[in-house]
Amino acid sequence: MSSAISKTIDSERVFKYLLIAPAVFVILLIGLYPLIKLIVTSFQNISMFDNDLSYQGFINYERLLDDDRLWKSLLHTIIFTAIALPIELVLGYLLALLFLEKLPFKQTLVAIILLPTIISPIVAGSIWRLMLDQRFGPINQIIAWFAGGDVRLLWTVETALVWPAILIAEVWQWTPFMFLLLLAALSNVDKEQLEAAQIDGASWWMTFRRIVLPAIMPVMFIAVLIRALDLFRVFDVIWTMTQGGPGTFTETISIYAYQMAFREFEISYSSAIAFLVIFLLTVTVVWALRRVEVSR
Amino acid sequence: MPDLCLTDINKYYGDVHAVKNVSLEVPSGEFVVLVGPSGCGKSTLLRSIAGLEDISDGDIKLGQRSIAGLAPRDRNIAMVFQSYALYPYLSVYENIAFGLRARKTPQAEIDRQVAWASDVLDIGDYLKRFPRELSGGQRQRVAIGRAIVRDADLFLFDEPLSNLDAKLRDGMREEIKRLHEKLGKTFIYVTHDQIEAMTLAQRIILLRDGEIEQAGAPLDLFERPNNTYVAGFLGSPTMNFVEVTVKDGSMVLPDGQALSVNGAIRDGAYTWGVRPEHFSQSDEGGQGLRAKLEVIQPTGSRSYGTFHLAGVHLIAELGAHVGEQDRREVTLSVALERTVFFDKASGKAVG
Amino acid sequence: MIRWDRGWRLTLRVACALMVTIVFLFPVYWLAAISIKTPNEIYSYPPVWLPAQVNLSSYMTLFRDGDAWSVWHSLVTAGVSTVFAMFIGTIAAYSIVRFRTGGDHLAIWIISQRMIPPICVAFPIFLLYVSWQIVDTYVGLILLYTAFNVPYVTWMMRGYIQEIPLELEQSAMVDGLTRWSVLWKVVMPMARAGLFATAVFTFIFAWNDFLFALILTKSEVVTYTVKVTGYFGSQSTFWSKIGAMSMLGVLPMILVVGTMQRFIVRGISLGAVKG
Repeated sequence: MSSAISKTIDSERVFKYLLIAPAVFVILLIGLYPLIKLIVTSFQNISMFDNDLSYQGFINYERLLDDDRLWKSLLHTIIFTAIALPIELVLGYLLALLFLEKLPFKQTLVAIILLPTIISPIVAGSIWRLMLDQRFGPINQIIAWFAGGDVRLLWTVETALVWPAILIAEVWQWTPFMFLLLLAALSNVDKEQLEAAQIDGASWWMTFRRIVLPAIMPVMFIAVLIRALDLFRVFDVIWTMTQGGPGTFTETISIYAYQMAFREFEISYSSAIAFLVIFLLTVTVVWALRRVEVSR
Repeated sequence: MPDLCLTDINKYYGDVHAVKNVSLEVPSGEFVVLVGPSGCGKSTLLRSIAGLEDISDGDIKLGQRSIAGLAPRDRNIAMVFQSYALYPYLSVYENIAFGLRARKTPQAEIDRQVAWASDVLDIGDYLKRFPRELSGGQRQRVAIGRAIVRDADLFLFDEPLSNLDAKLRDGMREEIKRLHEKLGKTFIYVTHDQIEAMTLAQRIILLRDGEIEQAGAPLDLFERPNNTYVAGFLGSPTMNFVEVTVKDGSMVLPDGQALSVNGAIRDGAYTWGVRPEHFSQSDEGGQGLRAKLEVIQPTGSRSYGTFHLAGVHLIAELGAHVGEQDRREVTLSVALERTVFFDKASGKAVG
Repeated sequence: MIRWDRGWRLTLRVACALMVTIVFLFPVYWLAAISIKTPNEIYSYPPVWLPAQVNLSSYMTLFRDGDAWSVWHSLVTAGVSTVFAMFIGTIAAYSIVRFRTGGDHLAIWIISQRMIPPICVAFPIFLLYVSWQIVDTYVGLILLYTAFNVPYVTWMMRGYIQEIPLELEQSAMVDGLTRWSVLWKVVMPMARAGLFATAVFTFIFAWNDFLFALILTKSEVVTYTVKVTGYFGSQSTFWSKIGAMSMLGVLPMILVVGTMQRFIVRGISLGAVKG
């Protein structure tokens, strides 16, 4: 009897490891190996000119501290994230409220609204670059209608306009994502609790704060986490619209890292940058998750 | 405390006429039970009183003021939901205090009221806990606590015991009855369970397809049902129905057996309604009906016997110790004066 | 009780909903319009809102020049990698859910891989590919997209598999099926909706990728995203080509989402609600 059981247990063990092996293998390849290479390279001195594989200590990391362009790009990234995220969240929430109750053609409308999210960020950036074109773009034309005269805003060139332009493209593309998630979460709020609150006489704000918000918090948290990470790593849409320009005005950390690695061939230095980014992200995520655990 | 008055309430869901011309007066302090099968309109009616549904037509008055167009929060009512609807992210204390906080009651007053409610319902030990940590029965008490802590004019209950197991239900029934006596407020209680209706109500309103079939004290409906529907709804096991003909002062059953009715009923065809407890086992050769006992279901304090009589299966209440040896043809005597005759065509009670 | 689903309130909501939909739809419309405009219409001021007729010359140019092949490259790489990722990710998810393989740590590690910024690992992977000689090959891109999507697939399928009652599998095993058969004959069919939704999104991630396609392709397997950016020049910007190529990249997405509407809407929401 016992040998039959242990046989099943053994074959089960083999089975479960077999199932997970391909995934682990593939991830190790693309996840772990590059990381190790990154760390190793960051301690070397490889660039376009030098191919020095010897251990160079922390010179690359020291260089990080003095690099103005790096910290500027980091600042750009953080401010960009800090502005886009709340906008997407609030707009998404308002949209979800609008669509919450019965509505004719709801499913079709929701599917159409989802379009921006499913197209490539490259295409999104391209579309907005075309839309915001100073001469032939419809946006300037629409503004001209309101302003009364010709409008020739150089959205992708003027420093006052570039970031708004990028934000418009970004918010346009990702608000639907928030919208969909929040719509699902709001639909799942227990109707009876809302009715009880009505009978208890709670105001709209009290109902929101004490019943709705706690109920949608898990979904909101995930949504915010995913978007925050994506915003931090943003590359495609900015690349298409301004390539980080004018100059380095709209350069984010990902664009800077790309420039260092693939344009200037500062391999070792870009590895250090990459490592810094991973470090910052990990710290932030761990901190965020800790906060969630504590509040539980 | 104001009286509740429903006048000609009509409610349509699209084309479906869910509530048809219902009028009802509930004097202050009465315990009224709306009972009926699924889809009869009882919950719709309750929710209309609460303001959670709009009525298509008619008026609802609480005392002198009409509350038909008011939002739930302005009607001064309290409600206990079937699935409790407790706020999961608030403690028991906060759940009960919720309505008071919404009305900006001072903290000291809130403390007092919550203490009082938790005392009445014996939930003082759980005030700091959260709903997910409580059992079904405890949650139900908290839901009731949340309702009674406000000084509402009307207390609405929407099938509050449906989600509890049988034993718990029995205990809660008693508690709700005591609660009503203690508070003296008007209770409107919806259930599909006829036992809850019988045991709790001062007045039962039996609904079918959106209309009131019969309204009255429980025993009234039980002993003098208006029609076969009411008769069949109340009572467990259900009333037996037999097709009979009355001719020349005699009631004739389909198999030819006859009983004298002494002219109390006119000649004609009827549906005869007789409850299990109207039968008793007669002595050998006594006056009564011959029937064959087929199945015996003992419950401990008594037994229910299924009899084959005149082509119909009847259930009769028998003594506790009926056994295998009694499975034969026996004579059943009937307390005719307690049975009810219904017109065969319309189902309405006669006589 | 204030009802927002009837009367003037409903009309207001419908009007707002329509306006919002138009706002989100308009840029895509504009793109489609550009792709069928004549050069005169494209470069006209004030802009032409509705093209006079459907002009497919921009598309023709792409096909003639062979640029349209990039759509094929995208299709192959995204499609094949999706199949692989779905397979590897789903069986891994099953292992995690039913056998708790590796406990919580393994699951967290796999799922956290999704957070890696592509740019960070881009160069090391490039070097790796150079040494393996798989730069600018189908194999290279497929391997990469598969690897990057496995964490996402595992995460999503984990949620869906958890919803399947254990009794179903146990009953199948009592009936004599092996564990492998149970996985394919019982679990997969039940998780159909989740599989669809996840597959759609996996495909979309790979289809829309830019950075890796940029770095790991040169001329042989250039995907449409890279091609599109190529049309933006400092000297001249080929709007007609940008429009047409972008539409070629967008149309499949519209098709996919259009047919799978129901699944997708449920898929995103379920995934997040469970996550």
